[in-house]
Amino acid sequence: MGSEQRRDPALSGNGRLLASISDRQGRSSVILQEQPSGRLLPLRHLRGHSPHRSPALSWNGRYLAVLMQQGMQTVAVVEDRLRGQLLRLPAPAGASVERLSLAPDGQTVALQLVQGGQQRVQVFDLSGLLEPDRAGGQRISDPPP
Amino acid sequence: MKLLAPALLATTLLTGCLGPMPIPRSGLNRQLEQAGGNRDPSLGLRWMALIQQRGGREQVQLLDLQRQLPVPVPGLNRPDALPISVSTDANGERLALVRQLGGRSEVVLYRRALQSLQLIPMASDSIPTQVSLRADGRQLAVQVSRNGLWQIDLVELP
Repeated sequence: MGSEQRRDPALSGNGRLLASISDRQGRSSVILQEQPSGRLLPLRHLRGHSPHRSPALSWNGRYLAVLMQQGMQTVAVVEDRLRGQLLRLPAPAGASVERLSLAPDGQTVALQLVQGGQQRVQVFDLSGLLEPDRAGGQRISDPPP
Repeated sequence: MKLLAPALLATTLLTGCLGPMPIPRSGLNRQLEQAGGNRDPSLGLRWMALIQQRGGREQVQLLDLQRQLPVPVPGLNRPDALPISVSTDANGERLALVRQLGGRSEVVLYRRALQSLQLIPMASDSIPTQVSLRADGRQLAVQVSRNGLWQIDLVELP
């Protein structure tokens, strides 16, 4: 692996995918690997918006949530790997996002925020935005062409 | 009713312009805010583990998101241990924790039904700093510092 560093691991519930942050040549980018082969899988929407941090995967890996840089702001996004779409989750006004956690079914997200110098956690319902990705659901390796 | 109609119209227009938005779990968020500082959330299906600051020290808390209540986790928190990172499985049954105890970082697995805590052995040259438990509770991904580099170790669990 040379001088590449890996951190912030997240496993899909079915154990087939591992998301993590790869630090290479000064860049922190999210990578997605099939397990146990280690084969890298493409992510359509996240290139060019590094640094990334705090990835999370849903049960079958349909959804990859991550924090990414957009201009001067860090924003939480969810890539729907089945539909090839990107959903942006705006942070509450005046707060910066530090970490996130996505529920295994993709129906809830928790954001760790810093606001007024204090760390706090807020929870959001995504059930109106994302279809559930439940245990035993469709296996997703490569996104559709 | 007179006040409600314009408010409803404004909400509809806003939603129409911006598309669907994530909905804050307001009651739960208010409760979390009142509890003080929180960090490192980890969601299960109806559970959330997090590290909460309370009485000048940090401890792991497990919340039932449906009932919006903390769930007892006897034996998980020790007054002489500092929690670093926590992760729950989908059912809030297993919790993995990186904690600092006696100047050393260690990974432990908590089984709620048994109220048991099990030390997870790590390589001697590794310092665990972050943990992610697979939703079925059967595998751990541990971020470790080894020879000055961040790396990820995968650990199968019984």
